[in-house]
Amino acid sequence: MPNHEIVINEVQKDSEMHRVLELALEAGRVLLSNGAEIFRVEETIEHICKRFKIEEMDAFVMSNGIFLTAHDKGREIFAKVKHVPLAGTNLEIVTEVNNLSREISAGNVSVEEAFVRLRDIEQLPPKKNIELEMGAGIGSGVFCYLMGGNIYESIFTVLIGFLLYAIILFAARRQVSKIIINLVGGAFITVMALVVSNIPFPFEVTLDKMIIGCILPMIPGVAFVNAIRDIADSDFISGIVKLLDALLVFVYIAIGVGFVLSIYGGGLLL
Amino acid sequence: MIANIVCSFVGTIAFSILFNVPSKYYKYCGFTGMVGWMCLYFCSGVIKGPFATFLATLLVVLCSRIFAVWRKCPITVFLISGIFPLVPGAAVYYTAYNFVMNDLSLATDSGIHALKTAFAIVLGIVFVVSIPRQWFSIEYWKSRVSKKRVVS
Repeated sequence: MPNHEIVINEVQKDSEMHRVLELALEAGRVLLSNGAEIFRVEETIEHICKRFKIEEMDAFVMSNGIFLTAHDKGREIFAKVKHVPLAGTNLEIVTEVNNLSREISAGNVSVEEAFVRLRDIEQLPPKKNIELEMGAGIGSGVFCYLMGGNIYESIFTVLIGFLLYAIILFAARRQVSKIIINLVGGAFITVMALVVSNIPFPFEVTLDKMIIGCILPMIPGVAFVNAIRDIADSDFISGIVKLLDALLVFVYIAIGVGFVLSIYGGGLLL
Repeated sequence: MIANIVCSFVGTIAFSILFNVPSKYYKYCGFTGMVGWMCLYFCSGVIKGPFATFLATLLVVLCSRIFAVWRKCPITVFLISGIFPLVPGAAVYYTAYNFVMNDLSLATDSGIHALKTAFAIVLGIVFVVSIPRQWFSIEYWKSRVSKKRVVS
């Protein structure tokens, strides 16, 4: 029965294609939720589909969702919408998925193998909390020194930056909203800087350099840079959304800092 | 000056830890940030603020694109860490400070300065990102040279 065989073949081919498209979608999701740009997600999906001979496909990627459809000789074989909530940034995962996509394009990896590797990549452990805190502290202190602070201010900035990041990580683990984290972060560094600058040391400790140094770990660098790159690639919707995200974080930090300063300076107490 | 070089190198690496950059790329991230900061350092006093930031951004993005093609990894890794020394954190602080101290003219001054610097960074990134990708790979130029030889 030749007719029957054709049907079975078609079904088999369909399920294979489904698997490939699932892989493409999954790779796209992992990239997007770890801080990749829109065009990288689109390109990765396209590369994977091309490699496994799916020519008629359309991927529409936004900052928090992926829409993927595919046709085969006029028949619809795949249509899926994937919601991708914004998560933290992990450039290691982005790099690894990028390498995987290169290997898939070169034809060295099969579909099932790629699924396994993608799952392994997603479970890569992030850096330890203590490393992140040290990074934030040292970074703040060093930039405080570069912006013209003296050595004592820089040492205090290292301590404040370390504590600040410990608080941020603590709050992020309990899923406190980003607005609160940045407001409280801005207020916290100002309070700490005020405390330090009011202790009568034998050397000079000024307020502003310490606060400037401590602001830096909170600055939304990824959102800002990715927003610009998306806009440069004419992905305006995603670009504007991310730009707004970055600008609002700046505003929240400024409000947190300003609130404490105005209480201290007597601006609110008349 | 040596303090500036060392500090910007170390500081950029410290911040790249926050974004989970793989540790084998730390030295490139540090170098990118150092290039940007040293450009600002040499420009200060010669060129006005936002334009110096623009030049520094050009250098940073150029550096990170070269590294990205050379090490075959996403440009984001180097770009985000490298931009950090150029971010107008000080201007944001002075805006907030002068605003709550009711010194509105100074607040607008530093606010507009922050915006100008941000736009300088935007322009710098857009300029270099629009350069075609293959210009950064050596194979492309080699093949161009060999093509020219064949023609002549």
